[in-house]
Amino acid sequence: MDIYLRWKRPSRLVDNKRMRTTSDFQWLLSTFVLLYLMNHVTSQRKETPYDLKCTTNNLKMWDCSWKAPSGAGHGTLYEFCIDNRSHSCYQLARTNIEIPALSHGDHEITIRSLQDAGSSTSEFILNEKNISLIPDTPEILNLSADFSTSTLHVKWNDKGSVFPRHSNVIWEIKILRKKSMELVKLVTHNTSLSGKDAVHHWSWVSDLPLECAAHYVGMRCYVDSPLFSGHKEWSDWSPVKNISWTPDSQAKVFPQDKVVLVGSDITFCCVSQEKVLSAQIGRTYCPLIHLDGENVAIEVHDISVSDNSGTNVVFMIEDNVSGTVVFAGYPPDIPQNLNCETHDLKEIICSWNPGRPTGLVGPRNTSYTLFEGFSGKYIRFKRVEVSANGSYHQLLFQMVPNQEIYNFTLYARNPLGRSEATILVNITEKVYPHTPTSFKVKDINSTAVILSWHLPGSFAKINLLCQIEIKKINSVQELRNITIKGVENSSYRIAVGKLNPYTVYTFRIRCSAETFWKWSKWSNKKQHLTTEAIPSKGPDTWREWSSDGKNLIIYWKPLPINEANGKILSYNVSCSSDEETQSLSEIPDPQHKAEIQLDKNDYIISVVAKNSVGASPPSKIASMEIPNDDLKTEQAVGMGKGILLTWHQDPNMTCDYVIKWCNSSRSAPCLMDWRKVPSNSTEVLIESDQFRPGVRYNFFLYGCRNQGYQLLRSIIGYIEELAPIVAPNFTVEDTSADSILVKWEDIPVEELRGFLRGYLFYFEKGERDTSKIRGLESGRSDIKVKNITDISQKTLRIADLQGKTSYHLVLRAYTDGGMGPEKSMFVVTKENSVGLIIAILIPVAVAVIVGLVTSILCYRKREWIKETFYPDIPNPENCKALQFQKSVCEGSSALKTLEMNPCTPNSVEVLETRSTFPKIEDTEIISPVAECPEDSSGAEPENHVVVSYCPPIIEEEIPNPAGDEAGGTSQVIYIDVQSMYQPQVKPEEEHGKDPAGGAGYKPQMHLPINSTVEDIAAEDDLDKTAGYRPQANVNTWNLVSPDSPRSTDSNSEIVSFGSPCSINSRQFLIPPKDEDSPQSNGGGWSFTNFFQNKPND
Amino acid sequence: MDLRAGDSWGMLACLCTVLWHLPAVPALNRTGDPGPGPSIQKTYDLTRYLEHQLRSLAGTYLNYLGPPFNEPDFNPPRLGADTLPRATVNLEVWRSLNDKLRLTQNYEAYSHLLCYLRGLNRQAATAELRRSLAHFCTSLQGLLGSIAGVMATLGYPLPQPLPGTEPTWTPGPAHSDFLQKMDDFWLLKELQTWLWRSAKDFNRLKKKMQPPAAAVTLHLEAHGF
Repeated sequence: MDIYLRWKRPSRLVDNKRMRTTSDFQWLLSTFVLLYLMNHVTSQRKETPYDLKCTTNNLKMWDCSWKAPSGAGHGTLYEFCIDNRSHSCYQLARTNIEIPALSHGDHEITIRSLQDAGSSTSEFILNEKNISLIPDTPEILNLSADFSTSTLHVKWNDKGSVFPRHSNVIWEIKILRKKSMELVKLVTHNTSLSGKDAVHHWSWVSDLPLECAAHYVGMRCYVDSPLFSGHKEWSDWSPVKNISWTPDSQAKVFPQDKVVLVGSDITFCCVSQEKVLSAQIGRTYCPLIHLDGENVAIEVHDISVSDNSGTNVVFMIEDNVSGTVVFAGYPPDIPQNLNCETHDLKEIICSWNPGRPTGLVGPRNTSYTLFEGFSGKYIRFKRVEVSANGSYHQLLFQMVPNQEIYNFTLYARNPLGRSEATILVNITEKVYPHTPTSFKVKDINSTAVILSWHLPGSFAKINLLCQIEIKKINSVQELRNITIKGVENSSYRIAVGKLNPYTVYTFRIRCSAETFWKWSKWSNKKQHLTTEAIPSKGPDTWREWSSDGKNLIIYWKPLPINEANGKILSYNVSCSSDEETQSLSEIPDPQHKAEIQLDKNDYIISVVAKNSVGASPPSKIASMEIPNDDLKTEQAVGMGKGILLTWHQDPNMTCDYVIKWCNSSRSAPCLMDWRKVPSNSTEVLIESDQFRPGVRYNFFLYGCRNQGYQLLRSIIGYIEELAPIVAPNFTVEDTSADSILVKWEDIPVEELRGFLRGYLFYFEKGERDTSKIRGLESGRSDIKVKNITDISQKTLRIADLQGKTSYHLVLRAYTDGGMGPEKSMFVVTKENSVGLIIAILIPVAVAVIVGLVTSILCYRKREWIKETFYPDIPNPENCKALQFQKSVCEGSSALKTLEMNPCTPNSVEVLETRSTFPKIEDTEIISPVAECPEDSSGAEPENHVVVSYCPPIIEEEIPNPAGDEAGGTSQVIYIDVQSMYQPQVKPEEEHGKDPAGGAGYKPQMHLPINSTVEDIAAEDDLDKTAGYRPQANVNTWNLVSPDSPRSTDSNSEIVSFGSPCSINSRQFLIPPKDEDSPQSNGGGWSFTNFFQNKPND
Repeated sequence: MDLRAGDSWGMLACLCTVLWHLPAVPALNRTGDPGPGPSIQKTYDLTRYLEHQLRSLAGTYLNYLGPPFNEPDFNPPRLGADTLPRATVNLEVWRSLNDKLRLTQNYEAYSHLLCYLRGLNRQAATAELRRSLAHFCTSLQGLLGSIAGVMATLGYPLPQPLPGTEPTWTPGPAHSDFLQKMDDFWLLKELQTWLWRSAKDFNRLKKKMQPPAAAVTLHLEAHGF
């Protein structure tokens, strides 16, 4: 029975493609097996009803059908019996029957066919497992489209009432596009049945705008009932429903004005009746995808952010243009740094950074809504401007009365999405007051003012913390913090004390809440001069007696501004003693000195300074000076800018010490300045801008005792010692033959510029004009130096000098600051007369004695002397052999003498020779050579040498104009050549005896004559055999043949030196080596060769 | 405009000289009616100035619209911009117009165009663009006033807008952004054409209204020039 053979249930999940593929294969296999078996069975059972199949579409009724046996006619009746507890049979004239669903388990079915020919019975076993559940074909109730969003909405009824509850249904929906019905989407949609009919919706967003192509939708279902154990199969596909858009005459592009996320893919299509030529997005052209009719589409991938007006998508149609605008952007970023604060506790300002720009502007821009959670109030942010990058946005929120805690949520929204940020604030802790305005300063008294300002806001519930900046000229600014109760009317006043009278102050103020959040901006600055007060102290006073001792001069110093407390108008001075009181009143301010005639009594002088408010306390000083017998003047040198004075404490000094100082060169009364120091001090550093280096100052230390001042110490000092600017003026007091007495004068104090430490005296031998003391300090050995450290010494005797000698004397003074200039003088020592006399007398005496002794000796030995030194001389005239005159030879007849004096010629005739000159043959050869260059170019002496190697040419061409003189010249030249070309030294002598092939020197001068000029090879041979080697490398010479025109301009120095000349061609036989030599260019050879070679060219 | 500093100084000097001599020109000092000539000249000058100003504005605005609107060879058909007054007219028709008709058409066209421009200004997304548009609108308003002045001088009545025909700017969903851009494009284009046409109109009118040159010379001489 085939019903048993149906073993395979449909797969449960259809959308699993892989599973389906596998099950399809199994289906094929099983179907093949089934067909085989069916054929086998059918062939046996054709006589009875066969092939009973039962299906159900609602699990309640089974629809069974069978095939009629062969031979069954139209009027065949069938008896269908179900063999269960209540044996029920149905008689029917068709081959199908609808029976109520049977219970689980096997049921025996008997079908008997009753026909005229007889009956046949078939028995089947029917089980629910053999039943197929095939739901009814679903029907789409409604298919609608939202063209603006390209969404399809499908509506259908699940007919759930026919199925038991809790059955799951799988709906498969297919979407087809274009008239060619291309499948674009196949989706499954799961629902469960509720036992009642229910309408289901399903939507799908198309990537292609729905306007551009027809879309078709069909569906089928699969009921997966857990109560049913039989086969479950898909229903048939429903008939498709389509949706299409009716185009108007104008071409249109879709989607229109769409906002998309940057980077997304989007398809644009154009509905057109005419042919679309091209499509572009921005400047980029896109390939067209053809849809139904003339409709086309383009796909844009990864779209980039749009400009302000959006990205244009334009389709070019014949004679028309259609397009749309797409806006690609981003959803709003989460608002960053959301912060809420208040300036005035009336309005809350919430500001935030919008973060990443969305790329959308205008109506698509991000809209912000600020929502307050506790009050439920909200405000919307309306923005007209396209905000600059990163600029903050802000919203003003009116504060709710009596609410301090605010819970703000900021919603950001644009067509692509939304975001939000929240903040919870206690607004009284977020007060950032406005800048205080109307800032004013009013006087209270000389040390206090009232500041008033306006600070808008209702701060009545909080305290304000304000900071006052108080700035004095040339002083560090002072900040004072004050806490002030907030008021409703925004006006604030505060008193500021501890100020100095008569001082210019600059005030400004800023405020914050006491719970600090932010300072306000500083208010404007206000400058204010406090009022005057009476001077706090009397002026610093000193007194001096005038030089005549009759007047007392009272000095006082102007009060510093912090003690004057105002503008000092005048001073009052009064001198009071037991008997009388003198006073000078209303001394105007710039005057700080008064003179009063007193009669040396003890007076108390009091000075009072007055300003517009009143007079200062008097400052008093006694006029009495207590004498001091034990007073010494000391020296002191300062350091840097000041001078340090120290003293021992004197218990007798009860009041204070006064140091006064003055320039020592000033006349009395000497006072530059003074300084009072407390009585317990033992040192003071006196500094003053008036101090100058190199100036001597007198410092006087006074101690105050019993209302009188006693001079304790007198000090002279320098702030800094300098070298003297003048040399000591010195004179020579006395001069002897061996000593000089020098005397000098003191240098004036002003020019000394330091404490004199000594003198340096230099002396040396020297004349006024020749001798100069150079480098006195360099320790020249001939300079003698004397260092005179005893400054009281004013004379110096220089001993051990030479008489009648000029001495150069130099004297210079020095201080610790350095050496002063030098003063020099020349002194000649006196002559030493005794020595001179002795020096004359002694040689005279010695000469006389020697003369006498010699005379005596000569006299006594006169014979011997005569014999020895003056023997008799024979007369040559007496010599017979020569027949000299007798008189001549007389007196010397001795033979011996004659032998010793042989015949001497009376006169010798000397014959002149010209041995110093060269031979005439030499000159003849050489002299024309020498002329060669002179005539041709007048070149340098070296060029004489140059051309001396070409004698034959010159001889021929240039006659020797001055042959004799040339002889002399030629000799000199000849020597030059010799030194350079040794082989040519002796031309004539060696010519004869040295054949060409001989070894040793081969004079070049003659070589050209003997050799064939053109035969260079022969010359080369000669060179090889001869000892002489050419000075230049022979190999380099063969570059240019002697006849070559090139050789005409190749007169180089080396050529001239080393190259022999051909007589015939008058070319250098040795080619040039250095063509650039400038010397050769001017040579006579250049021209000669040039002209001679012309014809050859 | 490429004006160098030297040119500016020269122009300034020239202007100063002209201003200095203005009080001495008897023709300007007379109290009588100067006629329509100066106002026509002024209107003509303003038209030329607006032409120059529009060149700069159009460049900015077309760049704002984006490609292909700012491409020089983009020449779309006039879609949907039917409400814009057309400046193009047949030459014969133009010649057949009388002065009153010419001025009336100019006045009506600029009233419409000004209204559209104001709408454009409201729509513009950037502040810079809004500034440029507002500036141009002010100038165009001035031109409108000048034309009205010329018409008044010549004794022509101002055209009264018919009720309901007042152009309104209604940016709505019916108008897509692209069509809006096309309208903007055409608005600028029509504005340009109208300015050309107006310049021609006023030039013609100016020549027509100009008194004979000899008469002017004589008049000046009589006042001691």
